[in-house]
Amino acid sequence: MGRGWRPILIGGAVAVATFALARAEIFAPSAPAGGTAAGDFYNGETVFQRECAGCHGDGGKGGGAGPALFETGLDATEVSAAVQQGRGVMPAGIVTGQEQADVVAYVVAISSPSE
Amino acid sequence: MLIADVSETYTDLVTMVFSSTIAAKAWFATAAVVLVGVQLLTAARIYGRLSFLPERGPAIAHIHRWSGRIAFLFTLPVFFHCVTILGFQTPDTRVAIHSLFGTFFYGVFAAKVLVVRDHSLPRWALPTAGLTLALMLVVLWVTSSLWYFTTVRFGF
Repeated sequence: MGRGWRPILIGGAVAVATFALARAEIFAPSAPAGGTAAGDFYNGETVFQRECAGCHGDGGKGGGAGPALFETGLDATEVSAAVQQGRGVMPAGIVTGQEQADVVAYVVAISSPSE
Repeated sequence: MLIADVSETYTDLVTMVFSSTIAAKAWFATAAVVLVGVQLLTAARIYGRLSFLPERGPAIAHIHRWSGRIAFLFTLPVFFHCVTILGFQTPDTRVAIHSLFGTFFYGVFAAKVLVVRDHSLPRWALPTAGLTLALMLVVLWVTSSLWYFTTVRFGF
């Protein structure tokens, strides 16, 4: 086999290794506390930035029309109820379905008091 | 427990500067894309194109090498988050394309680095590898950073 194939073979091996690493998701967070196992923290973060940060601030740290959520000790039941039914000026059903589960997972995680 | 801590620590570190981990990735990738633009301009000058740029020679080659190295460094936190935390996903076309190109990105990068060092290869091999790598990064940027800036929010 010619020397010219070396970059392609090694590049292919690196791509296969990357794929294996991606499938393993070795540092993926475990299910968040609070009974929201169906939610994905990182997708919830994106949904939160799109739909919620305007009122609750970046990372839920406040600064808008809504209250700060960061380190406030909310649980999944409270957050789910607020999202589904609305609260104060916050309308009901801003996000639904999987996006709701994801954003609940994110809010529960950021609202956990730091140790 | 230790593995979960890695994800949390990464998130805590990144959100000290950026509003979210995805915002951080969007800006790191944008920095890499800007530097890839520098790479393309300097490469074109090295190959005798774009004569309006300063003269060919060590300075252009130096800028080309260092813009590449710094661009590579900017991709590392993105790699860490995308590959080791989020993984390969295909929930929709955008994410599927992003995952596919992301999987091959470092493979093409490794191939390009080897092509640079192998002077026995045909003259077209290096620009082909370089342009392929640049194109892949642009596709990755369009399917992540540009999407984030235009559909989620534009900000840090």
